Amino acid sequence: MSDAGSDALLEASGVTRLFGGVRAVDDVDFKLRRGTVHGLIGPNGAGKTTLLNVIAGALALSGGALRFCGHDMARRSSAERARMGVRRTFQNVKLFADMTAVDNVAVGLHASTRCGFFGAVLRTPRCSREEHSIRERCIEALRFVGLDGRAQTRAGALPYGHRRLLEIARAVVAMPLVILLDEPAAGLNEIEARHISQLISSIRDAGMSVVLVEHHMDVVMQVCDEVTVLNHGRRLASGTPAQIRGNPEVIEAYLGRPADTPDARA
Amino acid sequence: MGSSVCGSGAPSTTCVRMIPKFASEVRRVLANFGIGTLVLFGLFVVPWIETDKFILHVLSLIAIASIAAMGLQVLLGYSGQLSIGQGAFYGIGAYASAILTVNVGVPFPIALLLAGTAAALASLLMVPITRLTGAYLAVATLGFSILIYLVLKNEEWLTGGSFGFIGIPRPTLFGFVLRHPMHSYYLCAGVAALAYFLLARIDGTRFGRAINAIRQDADAAAASGINVTFYKSQCFVIAAFAAGIAGSLYAHEVRYLAPNDFSFWKSIEILIMVIVGGMGSLPGAVLGASLVVGVPELLRELGDYRMPAFGAILIATMLFGEGGLAALCRGIARGFGAVLGRIVPSWQPRKMLP
Repeated sequence: MSDAGSDALLEASGVTRLFGGVRAVDDVDFKLRRGTVHGLIGPNGAGKTTLLNVIAGALALSGGALRFCGHDMARRSSAERARMGVRRTFQNVKLFADMTAVDNVAVGLHASTRCGFFGAVLRTPRCSREEHSIRERCIEALRFVGLDGRAQTRAGALPYGHRRLLEIARAVVAMPLVILLDEPAAGLNEIEARHISQLISSIRDAGMSVVLVEHHMDVVMQVCDEVTVLNHGRRLASGTPAQIRGNPEVIEAYLGRPADTPDARA
Repeated sequence: MGSSVCGSGAPSTTCVRMIPKFASEVRRVLANFGIGTLVLFGLFVVPWIETDKFILHVLSLIAIASIAAMGLQVLLGYSGQLSIGQGAFYGIGAYASAILTVNVGVPFPIALLLAGTAAALASLLMVPITRLTGAYLAVATLGFSILIYLVLKNEEWLTGGSFGFIGIPRPTLFGFVLRHPMHSYYLCAGVAALAYFLLARIDGTRFGRAINAIRQDADAAAASGINVTFYKSQCFVIAAFAAGIAGSLYAHEVRYLAPNDFSFWKSIEILIMVIVGGMGSLPGAVLGASLVVGVPELLRELGDYRMPAFGAILIATMLFGEGGLAALCRGIARGFGAVLGRIVPSWQPRKMLP
């Protein structure tokens, strides 16, 4: 309502996060437009994941403002933000290892379902119905990421690539407005990475907006509508993938100045 | 869902068509709860086979301990919160029930429920510490246990202090006094079976998934929109309610309360039941309670060596691995199962196994 005229779904302005004296994220402006994939790239230690954690609510802001659909987000817990429609995946995949794949996804529907302890213990008809629809939606989400054949497999027993997909399924099942993906293609081979690219595009096509932290440049260049480059916690540049690719400052941040020792590109 | 179709004025043919469906449902329930039915039947016939009053008394105590242990199983085995404070809630339940029946004249069934409620209300004091985890939470709950013990011991006007609380009436149900040990056995075993039946239903529901998710990864649970503190607190309340009910049954079973029965050692005992039984397994909690309460009674003849022998048994049980007695039984069942077909598919401590 209040952001009429701008189509920013998620807006960070002057966001700062300190760790002691270290400014991990330093006065960063960031705008996620509705229905787009926004890439967040930069060398290791540039503050990408920190920024993502600040947006998700896992880390508190040290300064600046964070708005989502016109609401101030700064003081909300990560669970509240998830309920409002900001979901995430983690850099080091965080699944519920002892639960089946479908149960993992079902946890993602927690916020949009209602049965509590008494519903569980008394097995009321309303809760049976709810559980039934949870199952259906979970299977649908598993099919969406291509894991419908593994619904009953224990999450901890899935191969690494599948675990990444399962985490995405858990995030998309609730159809949130925003999905924060923290290096979804890390550690995957080319084929799997391509599958992730396609998946991110279909997530956008399904109406969700994506913030993507990623090191795989192929993935970033393929799927992003917009890219923001961070370096040493500050925003270095932002623009379309083509603009970023040609930006001399970005190239320098990644490869170092010609006279410098080159910074290893991840 | 099925029953609502029949009940909502649907044509009678719908009901007729549902009979075979109903029959298959019954068969499915019997298949699923076959073990449960057997166990219930076993619990029912025990006092006819074994009429010794003392043994029935011990069985009642096992049932009582099982209730407290199952409550802690939800708290520790499901939601992953290590509490060494269950003895406090057990004590609160026991004294609340004693005070209500003796001083206020409340009938037993109501005192039983109020005792659980009192313990559950007391557990709300735990809400601020649910953000603690692991050893820190354990020490905080232990502190609570010590505090409650001191209250029970020193508030003589209310609890009788170290003289103990005497003259607790036998349990009565609808005017019928449960005078015989067999009757109180049925009461305790019945409540324990009900508690088991209810708590077993947590698995595979939204609530069960939420608390399991919190145990396995609280960050990921929060990122899925689960209010971690709220669910952790609910588990504290459930565990405390169970402990309070157990305490009340205990008060009316032994009919004399001494504060020393509710020292932090009682909390440790309940914790041992859950861990030895197998974390995350409800049958495990019952097995653990049977071991912790039953074995010292079996070892009475050893005299001074009773407790050291008990300690050795505990250590030996833990050598079987993290799954505890539940996993051990499952292993044995699997061995038999190879011969006799699948016997006990539902006895699996799914959670804590590697």
